[in-house]
Amino acid sequence: MKATLLAWGLPLVALLFLPLWITSPYALHIFILLFIAIATGESWNVIGGFAGQYSVGHAAFYGLGAYGAFILLQDRHVAPWFGVWVAVAIAAAVALAIGSITFRLRGPYFVLASIAVAEIIRLAALNWKDLTNGAEGILASDLPPLQLGNRLITDWNSKIPYYYMGLAMAVFSIGVNFAVKKTKLGYYLQAIREDQDAAHSLGIPLTVTKNIALVISAACTALAGSFAAFYIGFIEPQQVFGLDVSVQMVLVAIIGGIGTVSGPLIGGVVLVLLSES
Amino acid sequence: MAVLIQSILSGVLIGGVYALIGIGLTLIFGVMRVINFAQGELVMVGMYVTFFLFKGFGMDPFLSVVLTMPALFLLGALLQRTLINKVLDALPQNQILLTIGIGLVLSNLAMMLFTSDYRILSTSYSSSSVALGSIRLSTPLLYCFLITAVITAALYWFLVKTDVGHAVRATAQDRDAAQLMGVNVRNMGVLAFGMGAALAGAAGALVAPTYYIYPQVGGAFTLKAFVVVVLGGMGSIVGATLGGVLIGTAESVSASYLGSGWKDLCVYAIFLLVLLLKPSGLLGKSRM
Repeated sequence: MKATLLAWGLPLVALLFLPLWITSPYALHIFILLFIAIATGESWNVIGGFAGQYSVGHAAFYGLGAYGAFILLQDRHVAPWFGVWVAVAIAAAVALAIGSITFRLRGPYFVLASIAVAEIIRLAALNWKDLTNGAEGILASDLPPLQLGNRLITDWNSKIPYYYMGLAMAVFSIGVNFAVKKTKLGYYLQAIREDQDAAHSLGIPLTVTKNIALVISAACTALAGSFAAFYIGFIEPQQVFGLDVSVQMVLVAIIGGIGTVSGPLIGGVVLVLLSES
Repeated sequence: MAVLIQSILSGVLIGGVYALIGIGLTLIFGVMRVINFAQGELVMVGMYVTFFLFKGFGMDPFLSVVLTMPALFLLGALLQRTLINKVLDALPQNQILLTIGIGLVLSNLAMMLFTSDYRILSTSYSSSSVALGSIRLSTPLLYCFLITAVITAALYWFLVKTDVGHAVRATAQDRDAAQLMGVNVRNMGVLAFGMGAALAGAAGALVAPTYYIYPQVGGAFTLKAFVVVVLGGMGSIVGATLGGVLIGTAESVSASYLGSGWKDLCVYAIFLLVLLLKPSGLLGKSRM
């Protein structure tokens, strides 16, 4: 236990103080990308890794998070740090609806259904021009500065606030994975992954358990999606709902090792370093 | 009324191509239980081969099918021998990962070699059409459908009438039993992947005169092939043919009545409905 705490705690402390030494925006950019990759990989891991349900349609939740928060900001002038949570709730609700429909399918059929759902949502975003501005996308203009009381915390003009938010998000998603793994839910999910029929005959409610995992996974993915969208400052349907977004998450988790908490972390490091160097 | 008939007929014509890609996918799945996520990228390779045969030698795109198919057969057989064969007994996610990887490598290679420019292959008859009363059918699509029909018929004949065809179908039915009967299942895998790739290549050659040609064009075809195959029933070749024609028709009719932006959405909605109501597909046996 002590060794585990040390192994996770030391790098975390190092990362907390990193921006004091590293000031190059490019290096910070790489770290922010890394945090996004880790957060999405860990989020996918909840349903894909622990439960063995290979969703290749997680871009749906990523994109819903991004579009939800962006549309709230542009049309209703809701500040992102409130809008994000609304978007996360929307993604969770959609996940529940999708899960109730698609979890009746198994194996390759579930994979294909998850792709189809993500494509339907992407095409809807592309064609529902009044709401989403279609293929032209949405540009986040003037983010309101973050204030606590009357004190200005940040006006979002440097990468450092994004760095800390990204770090917090990655740590949060790792924490969610730990929590899922150590609770009854995690054991249920792993039982379903190993043998669905045996798990069912032992009294594990299959659809309910999978749905809970999917909602958790979708909410975390949506959070990462809206963070990434605000960091980049621009979204369009292909960029956030595209199949390659889903594949990227799956790759991060599979390369690192699915069903483990540290897997997506390692996968994220490998993939981001490979694609950015 | 004429609009409806017109859209149904155009849909059937383009549906033939979807059927061709779908049959390739279903053949590979049937024999090896591998879902080939690189099927659309093989179509893309077929399109580029056709494009350069046309540009370099002035070869008619429909005539070039006779070269594109063997070329893609070799590429497919090579992929199977060197890569796919290694993961036949691996976990499904590893197989999916491998075929996605092959697709990524193919499309990125195409981008490196040919840049991501959109290319257009225009022949003398590209924009001409044939009139049947008040209905007009595009000439390239009509040729395309006729060649598709010939290739599909030849494939049926091969699978149903020849010994090798019997062996392929036996392997698809029961791999172990086929092996016990003396079928070389390894070679059947190579053959199936080769044929699947050749069909994708033929489809690529046939749509080259009507589509834009660019490295990322494959993704759309891969997804459409999945829809076609699941609609008809995984592993069923008749099902894939039917599925292709149905999807082509649904696409064309919804494009006429709802607008072309919504046609793919309708296709995926139909796909989801079939998955939920009859997951084994219209003609498939249940493998759930």
